[in-house]
Amino acid sequence: MASEVNTDFLNNKKLDSIAADILKPVGISQGFIIWMGFLGISLMGCIYAYYIQWDKGLIVTGLRDYISWGMYIANFVFFVATSLVGMLISSVLGLIGFKWVKPIARIAEIIAVAFAAIAGLVIVSDMGRPERLPYVFLHGRIQSPIIWDVTVVTTYLAISTLLYFLPLIPDLAIAKGRIGHTPKWLQKTYEILSVNWKHTPEQYAILLKAMRILLILIIPTAFAIHTVTSWLFAVTLRPGWDSSIFGPYFLVGAFVAGSAAVVIMMYFVRTNYKLDKYLTTHHFDMMGKLLVLVSIVYLYFNINEYLVPAFKMKTADAVHLTDLFVGEYAWMFWSVQLLGLIIPIILLLFRFFRKPFAMFVISTVVLIASWFKRFLIVVPTQDHPFLPIQHVPKAWMVYQPTIVETAITFGTILLAVIIITILVKFFPVIPIWEMAEEHHESDHTTQE
Amino acid sequence: MIKKYFTILLILLISLHVSAQVWVVPAENEGKKSPFAFSDSTRKAGADIYVSNCKSCHGDPGKNNVIQLVPIPPDPASAKMQANSDGALQYKLIQGRGTMPSFKNTLAPTDLWRVISYIRGFNEKYVQEIAKNTTGNVGSLQNSQIVLTWISESHQIQATVSGLKDKTIQPVSGAEVKLFAQRYFGNLLIDEARNTDAHGAAAFNFPIDLPGDSAGFVKLIARLSNEEAFGEVKTESNMSIGVPTYRAPLNEQRAMWNVLEKTPIWLMLAYILTVLGAWAFIVYVILQIRAISKAGSKT
Amino acid sequence: MSHNSHGHDQNSPKEENVNSRRAFFKNFGLFGAVAATGGAAIYSGYNYEKSKPGSNFVRVLTADNHIIEVPKDQFKDATVDLNQLQKQGREGLKGHRFVMVIDLAKCRNARKCISACQGAHHLRPHEYHINTLVMQESEHTAPYFMPKPCQHCDNPPCVAVCPVDATFKRQDGIVLIDNERCIGCRFCIAACPYSARLFHWEEPLMAESDKGKPYNIELNVPQRKGTISKCLFSSDRLREGKLPYCVSACPNGVYYFGDENQDAVTNGTTKETFRLSELLRVNAGYQLMPELGTKPRVYYLPAKNRLFEFKDDKDPVKETI
Repeated sequence: MASEVNTDFLNNKKLDSIAADILKPVGISQGFIIWMGFLGISLMGCIYAYYIQWDKGLIVTGLRDYISWGMYIANFVFFVATSLVGMLISSVLGLIGFKWVKPIARIAEIIAVAFAAIAGLVIVSDMGRPERLPYVFLHGRIQSPIIWDVTVVTTYLAISTLLYFLPLIPDLAIAKGRIGHTPKWLQKTYEILSVNWKHTPEQYAILLKAMRILLILIIPTAFAIHTVTSWLFAVTLRPGWDSSIFGPYFLVGAFVAGSAAVVIMMYFVRTNYKLDKYLTTHHFDMMGKLLVLVSIVYLYFNINEYLVPAFKMKTADAVHLTDLFVGEYAWMFWSVQLLGLIIPIILLLFRFFRKPFAMFVISTVVLIASWFKRFLIVVPTQDHPFLPIQHVPKAWMVYQPTIVETAITFGTILLAVIIITILVKFFPVIPIWEMAEEHHESDHTTQE
Repeated sequence: MIKKYFTILLILLISLHVSAQVWVVPAENEGKKSPFAFSDSTRKAGADIYVSNCKSCHGDPGKNNVIQLVPIPPDPASAKMQANSDGALQYKLIQGRGTMPSFKNTLAPTDLWRVISYIRGFNEKYVQEIAKNTTGNVGSLQNSQIVLTWISESHQIQATVSGLKDKTIQPVSGAEVKLFAQRYFGNLLIDEARNTDAHGAAAFNFPIDLPGDSAGFVKLIARLSNEEAFGEVKTESNMSIGVPTYRAPLNEQRAMWNVLEKTPIWLMLAYILTVLGAWAFIVYVILQIRAISKAGSKT
Repeated sequence: MSHNSHGHDQNSPKEENVNSRRAFFKNFGLFGAVAATGGAAIYSGYNYEKSKPGSNFVRVLTADNHIIEVPKDQFKDATVDLNQLQKQGREGLKGHRFVMVIDLAKCRNARKCISACQGAHHLRPHEYHINTLVMQESEHTAPYFMPKPCQHCDNPPCVAVCPVDATFKRQDGIVLIDNERCIGCRFCIAACPYSARLFHWEEPLMAESDKGKPYNIELNVPQRKGTISKCLFSSDRLREGKLPYCVSACPNGVYYFGDENQDAVTNGTTKETFRLSELLRVNAGYQLMPELGTKPRVYYLPAKNRLFEFKDDKDPVKETI
């Protein structure tokens, strides 16, 4: 990102056309109302499910003393994982100097903000006494990885929100006079949130400096957030969790899930908002390459994680691995490995499958698989504690998620989608000023 | 041939079975009798001892709620139990067999008789016979007492038993003495039961490594076994003969598992510095938004 | 009262009014004095009744390690105070390091320890602070029964992960859980390699009848929905100098319990006391999974020369359903 910004583009006609394209879908439309209505009503059902859990206790879930972490924790890991992509796209790739990430950066940030915000809620859904959440702050023991996780998720959420908001400021100022078709309150919001932005060089200098700080700060924070999340498992003694590569293993897995989520959102934005001029086939192609890259690295970690203990077959590891490879969880394990990792890698090596629709389909499968991957990391390990499970009801020996907990889990996903929808629908989803700057600069260079 | 083996096997089995069932009590124990008369107060005391030591297997007397062990512990109110003489009951309590523990070192002789007194309370036909004082030196002495002294050269405790005879104090010989060290949940037998010599003395080897309190004090209890002859004779003494023991509280050190106040220093520093560092930048950036706003007002 | 006097005022002539008011106050004062005296008398009588030395004395271990006798009724008064219970419960018993020895040769799965424990702690039949497991190291080795309480580790992995200091280790080595603090995250369950912890997924067994009772952290009663419960080494009993519930209930002499500082353990069945070091040395005592570095405070004596034929007549699943 250049430290000196050429503000000439503000007078450019191109800016007008870009702003018009991007701001056109902003505001309340009929489709939006129907979509939000659908989400809202579904959410009510999920909230009712949570009410049941609040009232009756966690007995309404399939969790019991031996498999005491299930869907909720898997879901939590999934949310944290997916939110990491904000760091990868806008920070790592941006700082390296890949120009093509510019129109995608905000999409990635939206995913980061939404998923990080809901991750906190997801963990509350797993708590036996959610009303005691303040104890985490009042009586926090900083030796506990949970406290590290709470600290770092909060920090990551703050940085991601700022990283979403800061580049939005010039856009809000640009958009102020151009959104006459939207409700008054939204225009008012733009007015306030654009914090007196006048496109002065001084303001750009401050903005770019602040963003640079955030872009650097978010890298260790994002590493921390998912490494610490992996430590929730890795600090225990259980076979299957007791692994020293869990930090990087989770981190790379997060990039796979996050990249897939970005592609899915890119596809929705492109088709629904008719923004194929900005989210071009080139972007999908590049995202495809990114996805295949992180997937290969993730495959490498998977091989490490499973092959090394499988070579030795230590007693406790053997029970766990047998369960995954040929036992109770084999169908899920191999589906996840094949559909979520190996087949996408093979397909995405071909340019043909890096077209928008194909990418969308593949990414959807990858994202769903990555949810189940988290389930496979969390649940099967607890099936085989060191000492045998005896003298308990049969239902305590296996984990069978219930409708209530599925509904609550689904509700958290709905909430994330609602946040994404609101951010996408009420604010410019592609950075106008950066695109204008980009177009301005690349007028003479090649364009796909 | 096979028939022959079978018969031998059968005989063997039956004999095994019988030996498993019959609990032979030596004749001299069979005839032993309580030194005191059973009364309501002895029954009451016996009931307490019964509840804490016997009930878990023998159940509530008369209610037939014994635990199903092999062999089945008899209900104290049953004819089978009551068929035992007082001496036989005492012998069985002292010896134990299989799952029935030995109470030799855990219940004082008087307490054994108290339990028997309680058991007899469930037998209307029972008529008690009280022991006559045994003969010899021991029987003729009264007001027996034990004095404990420490012999540091040999690391021994000497118990000297004496009693009154014809208004003079005389040593008691041939009396069995047991020495215990008091521990938190019970008394630890020191060395083994010993008989007093002609001078009324019995020496007990005291372990060199027995922990005392922080000043090395150990509370000792000495007791005469033969309560039929002496009644309850017991002495207690606090002596600084153990290994002075002070062990730090187990939650004293800084550790990952200890409370917040005991966090390892490195972790506390790392956590605080990291969090402060990150949030300093975040706050700085938020302030920059204000700076942007201000810069906008200038133009 | 002043309300009454007002009502009286309105219907009386002025002169009388003042007098009657005075009279009223006088009467009222008199009545008040009598009432106050009477009340005080009743109250002090009540206090006297309460403080009267009862025939039943309870042995109590004070914080500075003295056993004193306290009348039962006064003793109860003291325990009503939640703060006191929390304070003494978190402090633990000074100068002790409690330790348990389990002789596997003697266990025949009578499960008396379990029922005594569940009775004391108001647990359901499938909620275990202590459980007896059927163990078999490998195909050709002999099966045996293994009672498994919390190991009260000196390097407790469960305590290390607790985010809110709800579970903690005391100076006497006991690991307790404070269900006034627990947020129900179940990280400790995930961290414990011995599966020693349980979670109250629903309202506890005696939630109704325990309602309003002050929470005793050393007994973990009342149990609470949405929180963890675990073996406490019966620290409420230890405070009174008594052996834990499970230890006293065993009919087979499986359990020894005592104080490492005194190098002594007492058998719960025979009440006989032994040197801890000697018991472990002679019988080749061992700890459960010492390779995990948890440093348990529970020792096992190997299941050799078993007193009972191994007979697994209790179906682990059916039994509790």
